[in-house]
Amino acid sequence: MRIHEYEAKNLFKQSRIPVPRGNVATSPEDARRVAEEIGLPVTIKAQVLIGGRGRAGGIKFSEDLGEVEELTRKVLGMEIRGYEVDSVLVEEKLEVKEELYLGVTIDGSLGCPILMTSSEGGVEIEETARRHPEKVFSRHLKPFGDLRAYQARELAKKLGFEGKPMLQLASVIISLYGAFKACDALIAEINPLVVTKRGDFVAADAVLEIDDSALFRHPELAIEPQDRIPDELEREAGKIGVSYVNMDGDIGLICSGAGLGMATMDMIREKMRPANFLETGGGMTRQLMAGALRVVLKKPNLKAVFINIYGGINPIHEGAKGIVDVVRQKGVKIPIVAKALGNRQEETWETLESVGIKVVKETQTMRAVEELFRTLKEERS
Amino acid sequence: MSILVRADTKVLVQGITGKIGNQQTKLMLDYGTRIVAGATPGRGGERVWEVPVYDSVKEAREHHSIDASLILVPAPFAKDSCFEAMEAQIKLVVLITEHVPVHDAMEIRAMANAEGAVVIGPTTPGIIYPGKMKIGIMPGNMFCPGNVGLISRSGTLTYEIAGNLCEVGIGQSTAVGMGADSVVCTPLSELLSMFEEDKETHLVVVVGEVGGTEEEEAAEYIKTEMKKPVVAYVAGHSVPPGKRMGHAGAIVQRGMGSARSKVRALKEAGVKVAQRPTEVAELVKGVLKPEKG
Repeated sequence: MRIHEYEAKNLFKQSRIPVPRGNVATSPEDARRVAEEIGLPVTIKAQVLIGGRGRAGGIKFSEDLGEVEELTRKVLGMEIRGYEVDSVLVEEKLEVKEELYLGVTIDGSLGCPILMTSSEGGVEIEETARRHPEKVFSRHLKPFGDLRAYQARELAKKLGFEGKPMLQLASVIISLYGAFKACDALIAEINPLVVTKRGDFVAADAVLEIDDSALFRHPELAIEPQDRIPDELEREAGKIGVSYVNMDGDIGLICSGAGLGMATMDMIREKMRPANFLETGGGMTRQLMAGALRVVLKKPNLKAVFINIYGGINPIHEGAKGIVDVVRQKGVKIPIVAKALGNRQEETWETLESVGIKVVKETQTMRAVEELFRTLKEERS
Repeated sequence: MSILVRADTKVLVQGITGKIGNQQTKLMLDYGTRIVAGATPGRGGERVWEVPVYDSVKEAREHHSIDASLILVPAPFAKDSCFEAMEAQIKLVVLITEHVPVHDAMEIRAMANAEGAVVIGPTTPGIIYPGKMKIGIMPGNMFCPGNVGLISRSGTLTYEIAGNLCEVGIGQSTAVGMGADSVVCTPLSELLSMFEEDKETHLVVVVGEVGGTEEEEAAEYIKTEMKKPVVAYVAGHSVPPGKRMGHAGAIVQRGMGSARSKVRALKEAGVKVAQRPTEVAELVKGVLKPEKG
């Protein structure tokens, strides 16, 4: 889960990475107060959990307190790539001499962290790697232990620094790697790392994505990932413990695995459009399935619900009861087509059929999807 | 034969006294797996389905010969359990647990490399040697014995494709879930090389999905090293970028991991790629027939 820039900067600061003076503000008056405190000129930056806000007009500069209020009012009302702006970060405007890139992420195929640096800051590292691979210096690191000081110095030198600046930059690199490890991060990125006219290194921006699976050991972060999902249905599904992705179609989907869910979505998409992706993971219960169906049914203009579940680790005979509970309770009018196989499949079929759900008993999901297409065609004619 | 396991592989279950540990132990015993011991700290001396439980892996090892460990503990304890198994010189560890922190998965993988152990997972359904034994949570009735090696990122999709294969009379030599997280402990190309060497495997089916670059790297291996035919399917063609699709690793981001890129790489390596899961069985049939005839 990605956290806000101001939160990332607070964490970076704790790891002794220099960040600009500033504070977060949720109203124009707040923003003015921060600007008064730190002094003009200031940068006003929309706090949204997605990149590209500069191009969308989410970053402003000002040398006047009245204007700070005015610009903040503008930015606070904005929507940037589907994310509403409800706070801004007001910071001292840096006097930029040079911009660098520093980032740590995980190389999934090698299974270890990779530290990337570039003398080309302010642009996406993927783009620099494509256009100027000679400007990117990276190194893979061992999952155990810290970054060694000499390794950081080596990178700083490759970026063109010598003497004291080389040592300063090396210490920022070490701190960033420390923050990456301390926060269980998937990505820790400073882009750009500004070299000011005075020769200081300052993290002008901060991106930190934290591993949701590791949040249990980070109570200090006080993050409830579900609270931060912008989409209402996705948030609700997250709270009951299933993965839901809101899509633009009208066929509701419930699957008991991610791979199966994606494959099912692909097949439905051959003729129709899925309203959502939903997978239960391995913790299916009667309540969980009932909750999942309730969330799926909340999407307006739904034409049908398609259920595709396997009894491996999941007790599908219990899950089926949850489906039936909701159908009975809510008197669901739209057709439900289900495919259920694996441990205790016969029991599961019987339960689902008891409320008129069409159960396809073949192995091929495509057969069940065809049944769905047929059912909807009959409904129309 | 099979890869990774034999019919008589002796298995330890870590987390055997938990609800899932208990249920899955029964299902595995019924399928024919030789589960010789279980381990749960603080529950030593108990029995689960007649299987003796020990406080630690070390104690279990003192009383039994053990070839492999199946780990069914909650995510916060997964790393510790894997380390415990590897330190007790168990050379095959199957980590079923979902939501293991990625930093832990990286350390488990590094430890496995250092110890010369094979760790399958995390987030895997496990390994099945159809008709003989299974170390995992897959429903046994979806698989049947034969000569096709099956490797999959996803659990449920493995069941579907194995079931499809069985329906047309094609069994599996071994089916392995490689795990669905962004860091898996045994890469796809390594599993492919095991099947390449296994005499009873005539063809390998790879079931991939969006996210990461495992399939792309495996394509490189297939192109340069593999002689056996490979058939593949990749799930997630309709996945929107930037959205995590259930599995921690299933995300198209930073221009990487799309289904299209994987299909392209696999096709370039000479792999026959199915458009739907159903088509896998047809393609496999098409490839195997000329060999038999």
